[in-house]
Parts: sequence; structure tokens; C-alpha cells
Amino acid sequence: MTGLASGPDAMRTFTRQIEPCDAQIINGATNQGIASSAHERMNMISLLDIAERAQTSEKVEEKTWDMGLYRTISELVKKYEIKFPGDCYLNGDDSLAERAFAAGVECLERLGIYCLNTKRRVRLTRDEILTAIEDAPREILMGEGRDRRVWKQRKVEGTEPLNVCPGHHTPYTEDLAPLVVKNFAQIPRTDFIEGFNFTQVDGRDIVGAPMEVYASRRELGWMREGVRKAGRPGLAVVYYPINTRAEDLICVMDPENGLRRTDGILLSLLPDLKMEENMLSAAIVYEEYGSFKLSGSFALAGGFCGGVEGAIVEGIAKPLAAMIAYRDYMHYTGVEHIHMLNARQILMPGVNWARSVVNQALNRFSHTICMRWIIPTSGSGTELSLLEIAMQSIEAPLNGMNLYAPRHCRTTTNHGQTPLEAEWMIEVSDAVIGQGMTRRDGEALLRKIAQRFVGQEPATGCDITECYDLIHHRPLPPYEKLYHSVKAQLNEMGLNLRESSVVHAG
Amino acid sequence: MGQEEQLLEALKAAIIAIDTEKAKELTQQIIDAGIDPKRAIKISIKEAAEIIGQRFDAGDVFLAELVMVGDLMDEIGGMLEQHIPANELTKKRVIVIATVQGDVHSVGKNLVAVVLRSAGFEVHDMGVDVASSLIIQKAKEVKADMIALSSLLTTTMPYQKEVIDDLVSMGLRSKFKVILGGGPVTRDYADKVGADGYGKDAFDAVDEAKKLLA
Repeated sequence: MTGLASGPDAMRTFTRQIEPCDAQIINGATNQGIASSAHERMNMISLLDIAERAQTSEKVEEKTWDMGLYRTISELVKKYEIKFPGDCYLNGDDSLAERAFAAGVECLERLGIYCLNTKRRVRLTRDEILTAIEDAPREILMGEGRDRRVWKQRKVEGTEPLNVCPGHHTPYTEDLAPLVVKNFAQIPRTDFIEGFNFTQVDGRDIVGAPMEVYASRRELGWMREGVRKAGRPGLAVVYYPINTRAEDLICVMDPENGLRRTDGILLSLLPDLKMEENMLSAAIVYEEYGSFKLSGSFALAGGFCGGVEGAIVEGIAKPLAAMIAYRDYMHYTGVEHIHMLNARQILMPGVNWARSVVNQALNRFSHTICMRWIIPTSGSGTELSLLEIAMQSIEAPLNGMNLYAPRHCRTTTNHGQTPLEAEWMIEVSDAVIGQGMTRRDGEALLRKIAQRFVGQEPATGCDITECYDLIHHRPLPPYEKLYHSVKAQLNEMGLNLRESSVVHAG
Repeated sequence: MGQEEQLLEALKAAIIAIDTEKAKELTQQIIDAGIDPKRAIKISIKEAAEIIGQRFDAGDVFLAELVMVGDLMDEIGGMLEQHIPANELTKKRVIVIATVQGDVHSVGKNLVAVVLRSAGFEVHDMGVDVASSLIIQKAKEVKADMIALSSLLTTTMPYQKEVIDDLVSMGLRSKFKVILGGGPVTRDYADKVGADGYGKDAFDAVDEAKKLLA
């Protein structure tokens, strides 16, 4: 194989300095004003270098970029012999993860990052990429006081409990918003909670920058109110941008009623390795402010990266690119498929496998802090949704991922998630760790669960208030009954879920 | 199978295999052999497009390949159309597509554009974050039959409505069908803001476009 002729040397390069780096914990409270000094200290290419290159480097038409991405990734898939073995959900081939990581780094080196606004290619040298990989932190400190938490990179088949973001990233109406936040913050294992979007504020449509700025600040106001009402005022909140204008991203900085230095913001790289100037502007500001940053860094199989094998390459390159372009250190990583995000198919085993390869590679050869964004194709209040969430929650600890915001793939206002799904994903992943499950055990269990999807179509599900009692923090009786039924099914399949229930009176 | 059928089938196979050189060579052979170019378009191009669409639906073909097939079909379609008398040319239905102002999300829009194109529509993709005035100007310029608008953010959905409202205020509403799509967009919303149609996903959008432009 041509790729491995230089592969072992390349892997030594990757692993030479990937050591625990506790001293680099990013903490908003202690890293205030880190923008310029930290850039020099950490040696990672600075955000100002990225900004400069985005204005001065080679111009490329977007279609040329898209097709070039496809060609490059197709070549790398062949060069590094990345091939779905068929009929499996978890990768058990460690050498494949090594090759995939090498392919991801080469992809970023060959392509760089595309700036959507300036239509320029931001080139990165191999040394810049490897330095960034070495310099990134493995832990993020977030929140304040008794609600302070450390969010960590996990190991493949790791045995520590997973970090948890239980909810949001889905639209709610303003009447429900603070109550919904309170409910998610009430989940004891919550480490941070993410915001949400909405179409109206104070009964007015959100149209144009002034309304967006106001709505953004209201979102943070509701978030802070919700965590206070849950008795966890110091709990970290993450701003879910209501739009990507720089003013919308920056206007929420407000220690009193908005984003504190110990909170975070979602600044995602776009699909196909594309960055955006407003996001970079915000990243520069937040580096100085101190908030931590997240990115949606999964790859979309079926798109310009090609099939699941190509998505592995982009799925590894993308979080590294987000780290360099925006200083995102936490990522929901892996691979999704266009057809699954559109709820056309419940399950595509190649996608689970590709996700497994990506996360194993990132955990072993970089400091990327991976999260599993659990996206069932069925809606809340359905058996299928709970089974899909169970599958993805079993995968997470085995592949080295933390847990992030389960919600329906076709979420609409008030129709995306309930706290029960979040509690369920925690319960399932804890059981996986509790019984010392290996990838081999997990594979067997996933195959059993997958049988339940044969011949099924995704179910639409319910609005949150149709299946969940937000006043008493518990599912409505039919949904609670369904939860116990699915739990019993999984127990029969061999997952040792406790007798006790995550459902409790609020 | 006669020579004509063999050539048409071979061209169809070359399109499906995205073998550009072979497809162009076969197209020239079809022209040289005096085969009805309209038949070649129907048998070779349209049937190839249907098969490619089915493969994409099954997850066996990817977006980039759809783009390549679209480019190839445009090229050989152009070669064939040169040999069809002007009064016999069937004008393709024209669609202008864009992600609306304030929204930089392109994946869904790209997908719809490519699938519409492979379904035989002439598609003008204006990209992302496009103002209403520019979308309408383009639709007038290319004599579009339909405007397709994408939005992934709840805060940019109102800009879909803005395009419809602008069409109304300019007295152009009846000139163009309008369909909406995007993550948070629903059929109810599309109906509420006065759109003609809604696409849940790319395939749904194609069905809707075919229905509206029949």
C-alpha cells in the first residue's frame, strides 16, 4: 500500500508528543485575556494568521473547492485503504484508526480550509497541523462555584463516567423556554447546557439584526434564569447562536445576565471544511474573553466527501480544522448520513462503523474532546426513539465519546427532545461502563437492537408537552410506560440496567 | 438489439459510469449515424438520470457524483440539441435556488439543486446568504418558472417570506412558483407564508417541483 510506505514515520510523528497536558486546561476564569499571549505561548498558529490568510491566499470558486475535496478524499481513501468491512457497527481494527488519522491529517494539509466569504483557501503546513494537535487541551474547565465541572477527553472503552450535555440545540417557544432549561438543568449529571433557537421574542418575529441581537440576549437570559431555578446558578451554559452574524455572536457577552467567561459558545465549522468570517471574528473575541468553544465537527456521508469511507477522512480533518480556525476544543464528532438526517432511513450500519473509526482515531492520536450528538430519526415519545438513543449511547463510551444533546433529526419548534431522552442516554452509557463492556460485547448488543428496526419507518413522535410534564419533571404516564418497556427489552438483550428508574418526581 | 439501440444504451451506460470521454464519443457517433437526437435525450440522458437518482436515494452515489453527472448531461445534451430544429426544442423548466439572506448553510440547498438538475430542470444556484432583491432579479433574468428557497435557521425563515412578499408587492407573484425547504421549515409554515410548495428533503422537492410545473 503506497500510503503506508510513509505511514509508520507519519504515525511516529503524530504520537511523538501526544502526552497528557493537564497544565493546558482551558478555564475561562483563569485564562482571561489570553488572546495574544497564549497564542505565542502555545505555538499554535494564531487566529490572526488565519484571518490574514483568509484575506490574502489563493482564490478558489466554491464548486472547484467542493469537487477538489471529493477528488482528494477519494484518493486518500484508496491510499490509506479505508474500506467498510460490511455488517458491523463498531471498528475493532486499531490499525485502521491509525491509517484513518494519517489520511485526515493529509487531507487538511493538502486542502486547507475554505473561507466562504472571501472564497479563498487558507493553507496550513503539516507542521502547523501537528503543532496544533499537540497544543490542544484534553480537558476544559467550565462553570462556577459548586457547579464547576471538568469536561475531559475520553479513552476508547474508557471506564470513567461520561460528561453530559443533556439538551437543547432545538427550537422552543418563548413561553416554554425557561421551564425547559430548568428541567434539563435539574438532571444531576448535567455538566453544561446548550441554548436553543426560536422564531419569536416578546411575541414579535425575529427579523433583522436588531431583533436578532435582542433575541440572542433573551436566550441567554432564559438560560441563566433556568439554571438558577434549578438551583444550579453556576452551571455552565453554551450559547446556541440564533444566527451567524458577528453582532449576534458577540452581543451575549455579559457576566451578569448573559455569557460568563466560564460559559461557552457553539462556533461550528461548516461542512466540507468551510469556515466563515463572522465565526472567526467571534472566535478572536471569545479567545480574549475566555469562554470555551464547541464545534459541530461531524462529516456528512453522501455529500461532497463521498460515502462513509470518505466521511471518515473529513470527520477526522474537520475537528482539527475547527481547532485551528476557531480554537474549538470540544466537538460533536463522527459521521452522519444525509438520508438519516432527513429521516429517510433509521439505520445504516456503515455510518455507525465510520463514526467509530473517526472517534477512535481522534481519541488515540489527538487531544480532540469528542462528543456523541445523539440524533434519533424518530421523535420523542416513541419506542423507536428510545431504541435509537440506546444504540448511540452504547457506542459513545466504547468509541471514547461524551454525551451531547439528544434530539430528533427533524426537530421543529417544541418538537425535538424531552429530559427523559437525556436521562435515558446517561442510564444506558453508565450501564455499558458498569458491566465493563468491550467493543466486541457492544457489537453483539448493537446487532440485537438493530433487529428491532427491520421493516420500520422513523416515527414522528410528540411535542414536548404531549409526552412530558415540565412542572413535575417526569414523563407523562404513557411515555413512562414505554420507557420501562424499552428498558426491559434491553435488559433481556444483555444490558444490565438497574432496577431503579431515572424517572422521579420533580 | 439494433445498432441504434446499442449506441443509445452504451451512451446511457457511459453517463452512469461518468465516463466523460466515452460519452462524448458515443454522442458524436449517434449524431453521425443520424439517430433522432430527441430520442437520444429521452433514452440515454433521461433514463440515466433516473437510474443515478435511484442510486443516490439508495446511498450508492454521492453528491459530487451527481454534480459530475449533471455537468456531463449538460454537455452532451448541448451537443444533441444543436441537431434539433429550434421549433422542436423542448425548453427545460427553469428553477432559481438560493439559501436566503443571513444564512450560510449550503448542504441542503446544494443537494436540492443537484437532484433537481439531474431530474432534468435547468437550475441556477445562487449560493448562500442571498438577498431577496437579487433572487428576484435573477429569476426575471433567466425567465425562471420557479424559485426554491432554503433556510436552516429559524431566524432566517422570515427571509423566505420576504421573497414572497416582495414578489407580491412587485406584481410578480403569479410569474413564479415558490417552494420552501430547510431544517426548521414545515409545510404549515410554507402554506402560512404563501408559498406554492414545500420539500421535506431533496427528493420531496423534486416531486413537488414536477407537480407544480406539470
